[in-house]
Amino acid sequence: MTLRLQPVQVGTGSYDVEGHLVFADGFLAAVLVQLSGFHEDLAGMWFLEAGFGLVSSATPPTFADLDTAQDWIEQRLAHAA
Amino acid sequence: MHPVSAQPTLGMLIRKLESIATLSNAERQAIQSLPVRIQNLRARQDIVRDGDQPTHCCLILDGWACRYKMLSEGKRQILSFHVSGDVLNLQSLHVPTMDHSIATLTKAVIAFIPHETLRELTASHPGLAAAFWRDTLIDAAVFREWLVSMGRRTSFEHVAHLFCELYLKLQSVGLAGDHRCPLPITQTDIADALGLTPVHINRVLQEMRGRTLITLRGRMLVMEAWDELLRVSEFDPTYLQLEKRAAG
Repeated sequence: MTLRLQPVQVGTGSYDVEGHLVFADGFLAAVLVQLSGFHEDLAGMWFLEAGFGLVSSATPPTFADLDTAQDWIEQRLAHAA
Repeated sequence: MHPVSAQPTLGMLIRKLESIATLSNAERQAIQSLPVRIQNLRARQDIVRDGDQPTHCCLILDGWACRYKMLSEGKRQILSFHVSGDVLNLQSLHVPTMDHSIATLTKAVIAFIPHETLRELTASHPGLAAAFWRDTLIDAAVFREWLVSMGRRTSFEHVAHLFCELYLKLQSVGLAGDHRCPLPITQTDIADALGLTPVHINRVLQEMRGRTLITLRGRMLVMEAWDELLRVSEFDPTYLQLEKRAAG
């Protein structure tokens, strides 16, 4: 499986606007958004703004960096294999 | 832990019951003379655990507590918030096995009332039995309202609804007024109660501040626009059944 990231601005209704669309083998799998300075201890981290299919979560996680986020998404998608 | 009787602190229970029912002098005195064991607990300490068969009911004299369930991977769902005067597990008097856990959220003072004593109290004072029953029925009404919020309110409406509920509950027992109330819980606690994430809660609080609906000073929540919070969350206080209703 190959993940591809595409920078995007996301209208979250907050200061968290910089994000990435995450495609898995060409399919949109997730939207990651970087948390703004308003989040204090979470600032700079990446939030699973949306996940589709196996990547959806009732408790969307926050990741320290994009690599960790991608590892998590890959693990989720691996359950389909 | 030490046994104490005729604690003036049991006045919190009287105040709570009087917020939802009318008590006679005899009923008030019967509560005052309940033998209780008082314990000081740290913040985030379990009081009763899922699966336990408690022999006491726990009354909060000071501090905040919650009911909660744990799922795998540390996922916690907070089921309700409780403040001074609330009896946390009145259900255990008639439903022996706990189907959820109870923990403190802040430092707390808890009075443990033996089941046997409460059974005697309610047998000799049917008015108090009715008041306790009413309390558990209102408890169920709060759960229904939380279910509506969980399923059908946006995160913004949901937080607004919770704030309105907490304020009125605290106000009814004299712990809040002038549209300001203590809020000694974290954004993670609120997220775990509302089925959201701390990220969502932080965004909602930012927006509420931006629209001057609330201010948060330290651990004090000030509802700057009470009517607007009621309106956006479609808050109808009927379900709290407060005797001395003061929603304004």
